Amino acid sequence: MSGPRGKKEPTKTKAKKKAKKEEFELSRRTMLKLGAAAGAGTLLAPMVLTSRKSTVYAQDTVPEPVLCASTPIPASPPTTPFVDMLPVPNNAVPKVLNPAPTQAANIAGGEAPRADHQRWNEFLPAVNYRLEARAATHQFHSDLLPTYIWGFNGKYPAETVLNNYGDSSLVRFKNNLPSPTTSFGTPEITIHLHNGHTASESDGFAGDFFQTGFFKDNHYANRYAGIDTFGGLGDPREKMGTFWFHDHRAAETANSNYLGLNGMYIAYDPTDPGHEFATPESLQLPGIYGKTDIPLILTEKRFCATPTNGRNELFQVVGAGAPAGDKWSVNGKLQPKMHVRRRKYRFRILNTGPVKTWNLSLIGPDGLQKPWTLIATDANFLEHPVDISNRTLDVFVASRFDVIIDFAQFPVGSSVYIKEAQAQNVGVATPNPAPGLLIGNVLMRFDVIGNAVIPDTPPIPATLCQMPDPLVPDASFTWTFKLNGGQFQINDLPFDANRVDHVVLKGTTEEWTLRNDVLAGNWLHPVHIHFEEGRIQSRTTRPDPINNPGLIVPVPLLPEELGRRDVYPLPPQNTVVLRMRFRDFVGRYLIHCHNMNHEDNFMMVRWDIVETIAELRKRRQEIAQYRRQMGLPPIYRKEDLA
Amino acid sequence: MNRRAFFTGFTPDDTQRKPHVASYGTAIFTNAMLRTHEDKQVRFYDDLIKGRQVIINLMYATCEGICPTVTSNMVKIHQALKERMGRDLFMYSITIKPEEDDPAALKDFAEMHRALLPGWTFLTGDPYDIETIRFRLFRWNHIKFDTDLASHTGMLRIINDATNRWLMVTPLASMFTVLQHISWADPPKSFEEKLEENKAVQDRINKEVKQYGYRRTT
Repeated sequence: MSGPRGKKEPTKTKAKKKAKKEEFELSRRTMLKLGAAAGAGTLLAPMVLTSRKSTVYAQDTVPEPVLCASTPIPASPPTTPFVDMLPVPNNAVPKVLNPAPTQAANIAGGEAPRADHQRWNEFLPAVNYRLEARAATHQFHSDLLPTYIWGFNGKYPAETVLNNYGDSSLVRFKNNLPSPTTSFGTPEITIHLHNGHTASESDGFAGDFFQTGFFKDNHYANRYAGIDTFGGLGDPREKMGTFWFHDHRAAETANSNYLGLNGMYIAYDPTDPGHEFATPESLQLPGIYGKTDIPLILTEKRFCATPTNGRNELFQVVGAGAPAGDKWSVNGKLQPKMHVRRRKYRFRILNTGPVKTWNLSLIGPDGLQKPWTLIATDANFLEHPVDISNRTLDVFVASRFDVIIDFAQFPVGSSVYIKEAQAQNVGVATPNPAPGLLIGNVLMRFDVIGNAVIPDTPPIPATLCQMPDPLVPDASFTWTFKLNGGQFQINDLPFDANRVDHVVLKGTTEEWTLRNDVLAGNWLHPVHIHFEEGRIQSRTTRPDPINNPGLIVPVPLLPEELGRRDVYPLPPQNTVVLRMRFRDFVGRYLIHCHNMNHEDNFMMVRWDIVETIAELRKRRQEIAQYRRQMGLPPIYRKEDLA
Repeated sequence: MNRRAFFTGFTPDDTQRKPHVASYGTAIFTNAMLRTHEDKQVRFYDDLIKGRQVIINLMYATCEGICPTVTSNMVKIHQALKERMGRDLFMYSITIKPEEDDPAALKDFAEMHRALLPGWTFLTGDPYDIETIRFRLFRWNHIKFDTDLASHTGMLRIINDATNRWLMVTPLASMFTVLQHISWADPPKSFEEKLEENKAVQDRINKEVKQYGYRRTT
């Protein structure tokens, strides 16, 4: 193997494996003994030995973490830059599932309750995957000891799920997290595919979490939106590429994502087929997953200052929102390096949060900013690629930005850097890697090691996609984000999984206005809307809300806001108007701030898609009545209720 | 029965109350000496939290914003869970204005709201201790929230020290939702018990789909 994937940790030798096995046997015996004895060990051992699948559990049992003191907030241990190679998650391998997936929830077989899969017979799964959430350890840096994490199949980041449009997939998410746990996470999960055009029962609704020992089958049609109106695979102009899946449990999303429960999901179609050959429709972008098409999964971490039980644990306080990190992790490594050749590469940048916004730029060996080409925002191709060379690329939580870097502009032997505006705590004195570039600001390094081996792709086409027709709204609605009495609210209410705050009719288009009413200097809310992609119509701001609340100033849209989006950054006093459609499926969906600490603090509300006008009217009247009862301002006009 | 238990009546059987092995105990809860609305002295962790499932909120007697609504909703919670209250489930309302709220003021407040109910205790104490408890129990690692006294007064913190489970819910949510959240901190159930629960939920889902075309409740 060549390329970044070949440079992973050395393969384990047989002797090592045997040693590991013996170690495991010993620890099992120890646990047996402990089980018989009184003391703290008894609490853990019976769980292992009496569990239904004791052998599986025993093998997977990772000792639970000891959390470190929270005062003072620890600074992470020092880590030497550019020691580890950038890992690339392997692609997930299809599995034969036992019991076989069914349209109705297989309750007796251990599946969590859910409504029947919509359009099951139409989109029978062509391929099945199994991702098991469990405790594991992961080494974030060679200078650090392993760290306790929660990972899908024990890995962080999870294996990437690769799909083709037209082939439905089914992912069985199994919850095998330790329960009870001594970590700061809550061992209940509900997995959302961000931003799949997914039926509600497979959408990872925040309230639909399930416990340890159970599983849930999420059915992904892998069809373009507009199946009903376009037939076939739907409207190909609604194509999306870079998705990610993550835990969405109400009030606990930040911690489980901080612990590692997320991964990438990529969908290919004839224009973006996952290879670089000249096929009739292919855009011929760099596209070999793991070789020239690389995910960059970003997250912030903070480690305890000193190791416990041979591990460098993550810092966190039980019951709190995720802490601010002081180390930047790319694909699970701190300040990694990647060997590249003089040709074009595609990077799928994903911010998995929980809170931090990344302001990224490409810095050449001379310390000057170099251009990279933005081709996709939130999984959607821009109509025309945009070179960014004089400003940062601002990646808000849950946003995805696909960029192409042409390393042919750099000589062999040179190094190129991704710079993050906010410095991380490196702790190891290191000279500036490039003139004017401080080591703390370096997210990762590319080493140009030679000329292209796989021939370079042709120049990036000037037009990447055709945008769907402009949308004509059937109705309009306003979502106001505010801070009220120390509580985050949307339209004056905090999250309640059993309360609906807006109802839309399947097949219609609505114009939604997102307003951030907090005063300047407060939070920017990266607002995420499930289900379909929206088109931003306009952005305005109120520069002086206190003295001149009527003054509204338009804000020009950035090139990255001109395409289709599913995360809408909303700075204080900003108003964004967008249009989106609600096609093909019905059920419960969410709109929320994707700053996971805000989301966990109930800045999330539910809206439903219904099938009939009668149901729509009835539900809207219920909402209006509820708001009257609660003494809240009305959100519907007369015509909305008629 | 130890001496304090005799005076407070809070710890009928200490041996039944086992904290989870991972419980942070006094390290996070503190063991501050607080006073109840009945003017009894209690240790916050040892007497009130240890090994128990508890519901905690913050209030003060003269609060006219969200507090009365929260308290009246807590009365409803108490009614719904009457059987468990004072046995394996406890409610604590802690004043964040301990300088103003002495035990008598708290008792008046409780009386006014018809909240003098078994298993529900109103607490005051040293301002430093109260502030520590407020910060430890309701912190969000967010400087603005954590330093703002007005924050979190609208939240219920649900903790089960026996399973080390921490949850939060707004009492302004529907009673169905609040009770659901409290139940998520219930003592662990066996796989078979959970299976039975799942069956019941599935039946409800199927009924809803039949009636409305899609699943309505969580």
